[in-house]
Amino acid sequence: MRVRVLLGMLGVDVHSRGLRTVSRILRDAGVEVIYLGEHNSAAGMAAAAVAEDVDAIGVSFSVSTYTHYVADLTAELRRVGAQDIPVMVGGLIHPEDVEHLRSLGVAVVFGPDSTPDAILDYVGGLARAL
Amino acid sequence: MSGPDERRPFPEVDDAHLRLSRTRTWGGLETDGAYGPAEPDEIYVENLGDPGQFPFARGSYPQMYRSRMWTQRTIVGYGTPADTRAGLEAARAQGATGLDVVLDTLSQEALDPDHPMFGPEVGSEGCSLTWLPDLEVLLDGIDLTTTDIAWHATVGLYPLVLAYAEQQGYDLTRLQGSHMPDHVTLTLSGYGEKLLPVDLAQRATVDVLEHVARYTPRWATGFPQCYNLRERGLTPVSEIAVGMAIVNQTLADLAVRGIDVDQIAPSMAWVSTADVDLFEEVAKFRALRRVWARTMRDRFGSQDVRSQRLRIACHTSGRSLPYQQPLNNLARATVQTLAAILGGVQSVETCTYDEPVSIPTPEARELAIRTQQILAHEVGAARTADPLGGSWYVEALTDELEAAALKLLGEIEAQGLLPAVGSGRLEELIDDHNHRVEREMQAGERLKVGVNAFRPTHFTPPPRFQVDHAAVAAHLAAFRERKAARDLEPVRTALRDVRGATAAGENAVPAMVRAFAALATTGEVWGAFRLGLGHPYDPFGATEPPVPLD
Repeated sequence: MRVRVLLGMLGVDVHSRGLRTVSRILRDAGVEVIYLGEHNSAAGMAAAAVAEDVDAIGVSFSVSTYTHYVADLTAELRRVGAQDIPVMVGGLIHPEDVEHLRSLGVAVVFGPDSTPDAILDYVGGLARAL
Repeated sequence: MSGPDERRPFPEVDDAHLRLSRTRTWGGLETDGAYGPAEPDEIYVENLGDPGQFPFARGSYPQMYRSRMWTQRTIVGYGTPADTRAGLEAARAQGATGLDVVLDTLSQEALDPDHPMFGPEVGSEGCSLTWLPDLEVLLDGIDLTTTDIAWHATVGLYPLVLAYAEQQGYDLTRLQGSHMPDHVTLTLSGYGEKLLPVDLAQRATVDVLEHVARYTPRWATGFPQCYNLRERGLTPVSEIAVGMAIVNQTLADLAVRGIDVDQIAPSMAWVSTADVDLFEEVAKFRALRRVWARTMRDRFGSQDVRSQRLRIACHTSGRSLPYQQPLNNLARATVQTLAAILGGVQSVETCTYDEPVSIPTPEARELAIRTQQILAHEVGAARTADPLGGSWYVEALTDELEAAALKLLGEIEAQGLLPAVGSGRLEELIDDHNHRVEREMQAGERLKVGVNAFRPTHFTPPPRFQVDHAAVAAHLAAFRERKAARDLEPVRTALRDVRGATAAGENAVPAMVRAFAALATTGEVWGAFRLGLGHPYDPFGATEPPVPLD
């Protein structure tokens, strides 16, 4: 069974180069990617995750407002009863914020130091769990 | 009247910052303004030319930085207009001869700070700049006919500044400054079809450039805005190809409006980047000037040398600066700045080493401007025009870059620029390159110090710049209050005019200026413009016009 991952950005961040590259890397590895692109709301992304029955959600940030948006997203996922969908956060994430993101319910953080292999390993783990 | 009364002093540029300080080497040898072959042959004259001579491969001016130092820019933009104003004063005090004002992401996307879907970004990555009262704070006492502000903004900025200038009583023919009205590159840079459908993007560009040509001839336009495209994932070759495709299409569209190449091209400056491959970037700048000159003369029939000699505004590459070991970025930014200078650009903004960590700290901003001063006055990089000209390597790279760029340009134009954007073909070109870079990084074919090679054993997170969120909250509250207290009738009339002019195919800029003067916001003015072209008022469907426009 193929893993399905929803990828997108929240807020007004337009720096989607990294996310687009991750999208292609995942697809090349056989992952089914639903790519939402930029300018999504937490509610819209949570609704899409449920509608598409995805196995994980990946959000990427290049701006400093990520804690706000991640809190919104995880709250919205709880509201719609989808808190079991793991949330992956990537991009320019400061190490001091990782713990806080985890406390918000984020499953894994891929910061500037993370490699594509680390992302593939994590998503591969989801596949084995299916 | 040429400007406002002085209300709040803004420091002038010291003349020492504008001139080359020394033409001798540190060892005492006198140098010339330029060097070249003793007996120039036909190929040299045809393909290179001396600096200041067609096709300007070796530089746009005969004496280059001896006659005019490149404008040493520093980037400022955070928090409220008052915060950013304080940053501008600090930058000037450090010796920045040109100032770059960056808007926050909401302002850049023509979304007001009270948009119900967004908000935490207000002031967080740039200055919140929405309407006339914001400009009144930011520009208090700054003379817009003598101060060179480059606005890192596209959507809505030009009519907003015009409304301010008219309010202050400026003679618009003397208005200086620049912005980057290349909306098509925004479409390609993550704004996407929802925010900037390509038809709307190109229409906005043509309206602004036509207005600049007719009414504000000293206002410069950063056009094309290829910096964003390089950061997104173009190579030096595809920067030239895509940039020229945008220029060619736009000059053709302007011709339909009755604007001749020689009316607008002198107002254009190519916005470029310098990445870390020093020789490739130098060759790019040289090839670019040659392609530009020939295109203006041979394709568009330019008779004016000011149209044919390209001016280039360069920002070093933020994309190239990794988060890991950010102090290494000082070395990268220095080499990139050197590439820009050796390539003969007219202005440089050097990225700060901490750019991947946060918006620049004051210390990092000062280091960026000091880097330029060291290159200008200690290294001797500014001493002579085109110092790498005649190098077998650089000349070969210049020729190869030009040939490859012209080939790709031909392919894009065979499809048509707007179809190439709309169909996603150019985005695919960008994605392909980014994917290739990632593969090469993983395979170790491309080494990045501190990232996939020579990694440090210890890592200490660098300090982060902190925006004063209380000040931003107070600014937003004041905005809401003043917006609610407006007389809405003039706003309604003006927004109707924007929509009407746009729908009728008239230039929408004059109506936009009147709307800003009536205290409309950027979101409202741009929303009316969108309606005029049949697009929704708010791309996210979350706001309505302040009054019915029907």
